[in-house]
Parts: sequence; structure tokens; C-alpha cells
Amino acid sequence: MIARASYPLLGLLIIAAIWEGSIRFFDIPPFVLPPLGQIAERIWTGRSEMIAGLSATLYEAGTGYVIGVAIGLLLAIAVSLSSLAERSVMPLFIAINSVPIVAYVPVSFVAFGLGAASKIAMVALTVGFTVFLSAVQGLKSVDPSAVNLLRSFGAGQMRIIWMFSLPAAMPIIVSGLRVSIVRAMIVAIVAEMLGAYDGLGRIIYEATQQVDFLRTWAAIAVASLASLVIYGVFVWCDRRLVWWK
Amino acid sequence: MRTALKTITRRTVVSAVGAICLGAMGSTSAFALDQVSVRLPWLAQAQFAGFYVAKAKGFYESEGLEVTVNPGGPNINGETLVASGADDFAIVGTVDALLAGREKGLPLVAVAMLLQQNPMALVAHEDSGIRTPADFKGKTVSTFFTGAQNLVYAMIENAGLAQEDVKVVPQAVSMAPFLDRQVDVASVTVYNELNVLKAQGLEGIVVINPADYGVNVPSDAIVATEKTIAERPAVVQGFINGSIRGWQYALAHPDEAVEIVMNEASGLEAPHQRAMLDAYGKLMTAGEGTTSGLGVLDMAGVERARDILLSRGVVKPDVDLDDAVNAGFWKAVPSEFTKPQ
Amino acid sequence: MKPSVWLPPLLVTALFLVCWEIFGHLPMGRVKVVPPVSAIAMDIIHNHQLLLRAMLHTLTEAMVGFAAGAAFGFLMGVLFAEVRILERMFFPVFIISQTIPVVAFGALVVIWFGNGMLSKVVIAFYLTFFPVTVHTHRGLLSVEQQRIDLLRSFAASRWTLFWRLRLPFALPTIMTSLILGSSLSLVGAIVGEWFGDTKGLGIMLVQAMYVENMVRLWSIIVACGVIGVGLYAVLRFVQTRWIWWGNET
Repeated sequence: MIARASYPLLGLLIIAAIWEGSIRFFDIPPFVLPPLGQIAERIWTGRSEMIAGLSATLYEAGTGYVIGVAIGLLLAIAVSLSSLAERSVMPLFIAINSVPIVAYVPVSFVAFGLGAASKIAMVALTVGFTVFLSAVQGLKSVDPSAVNLLRSFGAGQMRIIWMFSLPAAMPIIVSGLRVSIVRAMIVAIVAEMLGAYDGLGRIIYEATQQVDFLRTWAAIAVASLASLVIYGVFVWCDRRLVWWK
Repeated sequence: MRTALKTITRRTVVSAVGAICLGAMGSTSAFALDQVSVRLPWLAQAQFAGFYVAKAKGFYESEGLEVTVNPGGPNINGETLVASGADDFAIVGTVDALLAGREKGLPLVAVAMLLQQNPMALVAHEDSGIRTPADFKGKTVSTFFTGAQNLVYAMIENAGLAQEDVKVVPQAVSMAPFLDRQVDVASVTVYNELNVLKAQGLEGIVVINPADYGVNVPSDAIVATEKTIAERPAVVQGFINGSIRGWQYALAHPDEAVEIVMNEASGLEAPHQRAMLDAYGKLMTAGEGTTSGLGVLDMAGVERARDILLSRGVVKPDVDLDDAVNAGFWKAVPSEFTKPQ
Repeated sequence: MKPSVWLPPLLVTALFLVCWEIFGHLPMGRVKVVPPVSAIAMDIIHNHQLLLRAMLHTLTEAMVGFAAGAAFGFLMGVLFAEVRILERMFFPVFIISQTIPVVAFGALVVIWFGNGMLSKVVIAFYLTFFPVTVHTHRGLLSVEQQRIDLLRSFAASRWTLFWRLRLPFALPTIMTSLILGSSLSLVGAIVGEWFGDTKGLGIMLVQAMYVENMVRLWSIIVACGVIGVGLYAVLRFVQTRWIWWGNET
């Protein structure tokens, strides 16, 4: 366990070494790439602002994530009930999903305002599609002969999905859930950079415009560390519990 | 210094290649051209017509310069790029950004000032009864938290209100919160958002101009680094001469200027760009811009801006304006370029 | 193709567009968030040259970034699968790299990669390589041990194992990641254009946002969708045509 935890730390050390090394090797001035010590110090001195920003971003990313997972899973189950439904809506869904999420952000602002709602909508859209696509793929990969066997014993369709297909599809769904965590954070932050009342993305944008480079980097570092921790916790739970096996 | 060295080497190579190419085409004057770049604070649009016109009309070339105009964007700032040597000049939107940058060790110096009046104004719905900053009490005001908030606070203070009397919230690109009446007062730049509102056919709005309420600060400075100014003063002078001349021409020939800008960027609408240029020109020729000339570095205006920032605690009391501003170059611009036509 | 194949999706899409059109005509306050489809179609027709040029520009950036990202991502995936110590050391670094919002890097990207196409390509690359690495790695390692043991019992070399067993087994998974990567590379190109550019869909997007041109915003969304669907269709075609043995993972 200790050994496993030490590898991400080693990764952080490698990044830190590359960071500090390039500052020295390329003689990068602090306003382009500040030393890590100064960033850490800035996080500490601005901790109340950083915590407020982080909680706003986490709230948006978290709420959007939950909504997205729920919608994605429900849609996937609905679609997998009938191959006609799948064939009918998939092309449309794929078209909506293949538009880069950033293109929807301005529309979302006008529709939902600059508050948390527009970010939650964007996160839910991103996460929802990722989960939907992986769940559809997962539900499809279930062994059809097993399903037929269950059906011949008189099991209803919902029961088969709930008791058999969904658990069997879990590995693929879980990997979709995992990928979505980091993307949820990034989408929330990018949307905040384009317009928000709160959050780390807003700090990044404002600080950049006001040439407050340490504040910019402090917010980026907080965002990155937070997603890393959440990702780590998810992976740990996933390995630890394996509740779906 | 290694970055600086690299930049120089790259530039030498580029200019050498450029010179060879041009030479092969039979141009002789090209050998003398200095390569410089200017970073805009936003995407290419009529707000920067003067620079594109100067380039298209050969005003830079006659100063011995080959100028690259680099557009900005939502996530980069010219201050950092100039300070790091990636660009030679930048247009810096607010005096705050200039002074804040200097305080944080960016060796930036303003050498000309394009707008003699701040482009930010406030708008309210006529039926709200809001007419002056004194009416802001208990209202919600949205503004850009990229410098403009200091002007809003100064207006509130001048109206005799306390900061807590008014709810000031951040504003982003969209005017929708104002139109949906989620905020009572919103900020606009007179060259963009105000025109957008007009184009959407919105009537019954009151425009509150900070300059009418004792908040009158210049904006849009051309900056260079201390190093560029010390080592290549001729290049700085040439860039200012060409740019001011470009602006003079753009304001005198707005349709041609808009056409030049439209050729540089895709997806712009001519009427909106023309309205933008007209509004921008009005701010350029306001006050000292006409009496002294286009691009004048009005020290009194810069001091007013500093005083607002000082009272808001944004800059430290020991900020030195003499280091942040160098008016000498502008004074040396031939007067036939600085007089609005 | 039989009508039963193409008719249902066509009907659903048509129904969707009709609902949209009706919704677009409803009185919805001052700023119309969802303009009628017909208005968007007119804007696209009027500006088709402009849009096509922007699409080509953005597509080129995305494709170069995608190719580089896919190649690098694949190589790293193979490396991590074959040399476990590298995986332990550097895989976390890859994950960390993806938690950093690269849009915030503004000045660094311009200083290091300039104002040209390279900086956009780099962003597209940055977003593309990670899913490819993850899927390649997972695909290569998910081969059942029995099959490996079987081949080993025939004295198969490491190379043969990789070439004959692991790679074919991983290909379907890798293809999935390429589909994912292609849409991410498009995001990268669009966001990359915000680092100072004058053409491309990303620029048009910010411009339209700046002047609140909702119809134009939707035209750009449609243009992005056309590229996205195009890339998806091409990769799906490759997948069904040449990697027919399906996704076993």
C-alpha cells in the first residue's frame, strides 16, 4: 500500500524536477514560470480565496458529475432495451457529442446565466455522454447466450439488466466514470474562465488579466492537486471495494 | 539571458531568410527592415485598426520596420509576452495592469497612450430610475473584474456611498444578465457591448459615463520593455511614429480601415466594426487627444489613475510613475502624424 | 441499405429538427438562446465559404495534433505495458499532466511554440495522447494469461507474443481510444486558437460570443459537429472494415 502510494509521489517529484530544471536551464523569468516554492507560499497566503474558489468549482463539477452519470446510465439502459431505439438515436447523440464542449459554453451562459447552473450543465453534458457511450458499449459486450438462457428461465428484461447485464458491463462503465472525473474538473474550470462569479477558473482568468502570475499558478496548482486527489480516491475505492465483481 | 539569446538568434535567422527571399524578388530596401511584433489585448478587430492600417499602408516600412501584429485572446496577456521577449510591444488595457505588472517585476514602460478616456461606461434600464452613481444604493452592479472594478468603486465613493451600499458582481462577455434584469447596472465598453445593445434594438437605457463623475483615466497604453527602450530606441520611435500615423489615417478613412481589418480576420461584420472604430476614435480624440495630439501620454491622466489605485490599495504608495512611463518618444513623433484630420 | 436501417435515425433526426424549429420560434425574451433551425441554416449558407475555410484551418491543426498524439500515445502505451518499471514511474506523471487545465498556460505556450500552427497542434497533441496511452496499455495487458502461456509453450519470443497476440487483442480497444482522441484533438485545436490567431472555428466562436451573435454561435456548433461526425465516421469505417474481430475487453 505504501509502495503504491509512493509512485504518484514519485511522479509529482519528477514533474517538480522538470519544472525547476527548466526554470534554471532555460532561464525562465518568474512571471512566465514561477518557482514552486513561491506558488506554494501564494496558495498559503491566499488560502481563504483558494478554498472558496475550490469549493465553488468542486460543487459545480460534483453536481454536474452526479447528474451526468444518472442521465448517462438511464439513457444507456433505455437504449439497450430496444435495438430500434439504439439505431434511431445513436447518430443524433454522436453528432451532439462530437461537438467540442467548449463550443456549447457561450450558449450555456446565455441560457443558464453566469452562475453555477451553466457550469453544472456543461459538466453534466460531458460526463453524461462519456458515461452513456461507455455504458452502451459495456451493455452490448454482455454474452448474448447468457441473456437468452436467463430469458428462457422467464426473467424479465429489467431484471436481466439489473441482475446480470449491468454488473457484467461494470468494468467498462467504471473506466468511463474514472475518465470523467478529471474531465469534469477541467470543463468546470474552462467554463469559469470564460465567465463566472466564482471558482478557480475565475481566479485564473482574473489573475491572468491583472498580471498576478503567482495567483494564476496558485489556482492552477490547487485545481490540479484537487483533481489528482479525487482521482486517487476513486481509483483506491475501485481497487479496494470492487463492489461490482 | 538564454531566452533572450535564443530570441535574437531566431530573429536573425528569420530576418536573414526574409532578406534573402525579398532580395531574390528584387527588393533592395528590405535588407534594412527591423523585425518587430506587437501583441494586441484581444482578437483582430477594428479596435486595433491603426496598427493594421499602418502595416497595410506601408507606414511601418517607411520607418524601417517589418511589423507582425499578433492577436490576443481570452487566456493570454501581452504584458507577460512583452516582458519575456516573445513580443516587442503590447497594448495594455489599463494603467492598473501596467503598474501591477511593474510591481511584480515585469520591466514594462508605457511609451504612448491611445485612449484619453476610459472606454468603460455603465448602463441601466431607464425605467429603473437609476440616473447617476448616487442611485446605485442597494442595487446590483456588474463589472469586469480585470481592472474596471476599481473605476466602479471610485464612482461609488465619489457619489458619497460606502462600498457595502452597492453589490458589485463580476461580469463576463454576455449582456444577458442585464437584459434579464438579474443586475440593475452593467458595464459596457463603448466600442463593443454598447453597440451590441444598440444593434439588438434595445431602447430605454441610460448610459453613465465615469468621466462625468470624477473618474477620468486614460487607457490602452503601448508598452515596451526597459531593455528595448535602452537598446533599440530607434525601433521604438519608428513603431510609435508608424502606429500613430496609422491611427490618424484610420480615423480619417474609416471605411478603408474597416476593410483592411476585415481582410486580416475572418468572420467580422462590417457595420459592427465601423461602429467600433467610430467609438474608439471618439475616445482617442477626447480632451488631450485633440489638443495635444493622438496617442499623447497625458501625465495628469496617468496620475489620476494611480491615485484611484492608491486609494483602493491596489498599488503600493512607492510606485514610481517616472519609471513606468516614458513620454519622450511620443514627443518626438512628427506633429503632422499626431493631429487628428 | 434497407429502409429499416436508415429510416428510424432519419425520422428521429427530422423530428428533433422540427421540434427545434418550433422551439426557436417561441417568444423567449430578448436574447434568443435557441434560434430556429432555418435561421441557422440561412447563416450557414450565407457564410459557407467563411465557415469552410475556418473548418479546414481547425481540422488541419486537429489532424496534425491527433496524428502526433496517437503515435506518441500508442508508443507510450506499449512501453508502459512492456516495461513495468517505466509504468510505475511515469504513468502517474501522465495522469497529473491531464489534471492541469492547459488553457491556463497562455504565455508559456506562445513563448515555447510561437504564434503559428505549432502551438495549436501542441494543445491538440496534449489532449489526444492520454486516452490512447491508457487504452493501449490496458488492451495489451488484458490478454488472458492462458493464451500467453500457450504461446510461450511453443517457445514464442517476446516480439512474437506482442505482434501475434497482444497487439491484435488490443487493437479494438485502441480504436475506441482513437475515436475518443479524435474529438479531443478537435477541442485542443479550438482552444489552441485562443492563444492568438485570426482564423479558425475557435476564433469565430470567441468573436461570435463577444458580439453575442447567437445564430452564428449555432452555425459554428454545427460546423464543429460536421467535423466531429466526419472523423467519427472515418474511424468507425476503419474499425468495422479492418478490425472486425470486435471488442473483447
